[in-house]
Amino acid sequence: MSTYGDRGNVICLERRLSWRGYEVKVMPLDQSATATDISQVDLLVGGGAQDRQQEIVMRDLKGSKAEALRDRIERGTPGIFTCGAPQLLGHYYEPALGVRITGLGLFDFVSVHPGPNARRCIGNLVIRVTATTLAQELEAITDSTPYLIGFENHGGRTKLGQVEPLGQVLQGLGNNGEDGTEGAVYRNAIATYSHGPLLPKNPFLADWLLQTALTQKYQKPISLAPLDDTLATQAREAMFKRLRVRAG
Amino acid sequence: MKNQLLNKLRLGLAVSVAKTVTSLVRILRLGAASVLPGEIASRIQPQLLEKLSSQVVQGMILIAGTNGKTTTSLLLRTMLERKGYRVAHNATGANLLNGLTTALLENTNLFGHLTVDYAILEVDENVLPKVLSSLQPKIILCLNLFRDQLDRYGEVDIINQRWREAIATLPLETIVIPNADDPTLSYLGQHLPQQVLFFGLNEPEQYLDEIPHAVDSIYCPNCGHALIYQGVYLSHLGDFHCPSCGFSKGKLALDSCNWPQILIGLYNKYNTLAAILAAQQLGVDEASIRDTIANFHAAFGRAEELKVSGKQVRILLSKNPVGMNETIRAVQQVSGQTTLLVLNDRIPDGTDVSWIWDVDTEKLVEQGGTLIVSGDRVYDMALRLRYSQNGNCPNNHLQLIIKEDLRDAIATALEQTPDGETLHILPTYSAMLEVREVLTGRKIL
Ligand SMILES: [Zn+2]
Repeated sequence: MSTYGDRGNVICLERRLSWRGYEVKVMPLDQSATATDISQVDLLVGGGAQDRQQEIVMRDLKGSKAEALRDRIERGTPGIFTCGAPQLLGHYYEPALGVRITGLGLFDFVSVHPGPNARRCIGNLVIRVTATTLAQELEAITDSTPYLIGFENHGGRTKLGQVEPLGQVLQGLGNNGEDGTEGAVYRNAIATYSHGPLLPKNPFLADWLLQTALTQKYQKPISLAPLDDTLATQAREAMFKRLRVRAG
Repeated sequence: MKNQLLNKLRLGLAVSVAKTVTSLVRILRLGAASVLPGEIASRIQPQLLEKLSSQVVQGMILIAGTNGKTTTSLLLRTMLERKGYRVAHNATGANLLNGLTTALLENTNLFGHLTVDYAILEVDENVLPKVLSSLQPKIILCLNLFRDQLDRYGEVDIINQRWREAIATLPLETIVIPNADDPTLSYLGQHLPQQVLFFGLNEPEQYLDEIPHAVDSIYCPNCGHALIYQGVYLSHLGDFHCPSCGFSKGKLALDSCNWPQILIGLYNKYNTLAAILAAQQLGVDEASIRDTIANFHAAFGRAEELKVSGKQVRILLSKNPVGMNETIRAVQQVSGQTTLLVLNDRIPDGTDVSWIWDVDTEKLVEQGGTLIVSGDRVYDMALRLRYSQNGNCPNNHLQLIIKEDLRDAIATALEQTPDGETLHILPTYSAMLEVREVLTGRKIL
């Protein structure tokens, strides 16, 4: 699934690896992908979709394929799931039109679209990462409090159960516009409404995903060579300034 | 009786107020007055659009779709004017309700009499159902439905469903001209009770080598199964069929090989074919149609060419992944090593700029030369270009220049353009208006 520029996350991860001399293979986990394919990936990326496509994806993601995905996430394979994808990893998603779609239930949350006439949650998003382990590890990478900057564009609202939120909203609406939470983290999988170019604008998060994936793959701690992220820094500063958010 | 008189008075008042506003806006040099008069007049006479449109002598032509509305309208308008018809048209891209009303007001005298044969109205895809509830067009052109400005309204599927419901209630003699190469519109056309004429391409030699990344509706609109494409012309437009339910593209009313096109780029071939079909339905003869195509000049911002300080400048509106992929394709086909990209995120552009990650900017970077970036989201665009570079060392035949200030960016871009070459400018909608203002010194409101 890729709408709203979610491909940006894939491009970002792919380039940051290849710039450092790693060989990367991007495998689309679409209808033609098998359970064996899923069980071989080192890092998962999931994107947004229209309601109808959500349903099609869920119809396909059943049986051994669903088990393979569940197994990867339970074993700690890092992943980033934006917008539609996390809705399908929760208990269920109720679209604007049509019937409730049952999800994989990996994340303890439910998502509901309040109807075709409800306001969409749209706009720039800034969050401070609060998920304990992730926040600590990101701080180790950036040497500062980790703030994520993104853009949300979703109709559905998500209510968390016993799962840790990804962060606290400083700007924007987040999971539901009510409790100030945004996203969720389960093992090394991140669910977020901040879609598309989340990783290019937050390169330290991209590097955390890569580092976690490589450490698991080679069974030893891997540290990544630094890259020139001047442009990302400038893009972040410009947005913080515009939103008048004090971060970093 | 009394009511009728009151209504007439109201119409007259609405019209005269609107005309005053138009003159004021022009006298004060606030812009071209393409929205405000309609807004004010509609407050005075709420059924204004309905009342005015019922006076159009020969009929109204509505043009809807994500990309190509302005170019197609202008081409059709030129074809009709050539035959001596008087045509009203909301030409400045002001395609929301007030823009439509303003366009009709411009051709209305102080007594509320409208004096045109045809009205061509560009209609925002989300406003179409609302417009159809207050006026009855003779022809509806459905150009395409791409993911665009979704942050304003929602999603392609919902829009399509609303279109179908709205069009189905119109009189049976309404002529609907949908793009057969767009699966959603092919499906729409095949399920309408009205007269439907499809336009599209039958030129397999124009297929893309690979399916671009911006594609968003490749599932069968009938049964949800993945569609099979024999070939793709651009984005999700192509020759397709559904292996599950047998749904396939509508039967074309024109052989696209027999017709030339306006301007550059395959997307303009679609625009040309749509206008031809409509003109034929309105009785314009083939010689006039061909002649108009041969002599057509671009609308502002749509492959428009200007001469600025001795350099040739071509502006190619790039407001969504599909449009921008096509403008990049067009830039590659003509020589030119200098390109200015301007990315804004205001309401008319869509506030969500993540679509740039769905554009195949890699192709632009591969070509090398000089890329200048500017706009409200200059660093986001620069970041996209940085991530378009393949190898682990920066591309040496590519020069990337970042200029926050648009005037500065334009000046630099002009300087960087060698004599005798063309500077290509790829702006989003509001950026295009700003670029034009800088280049020509005039504003469009
Ligand atoms: Zn089908």
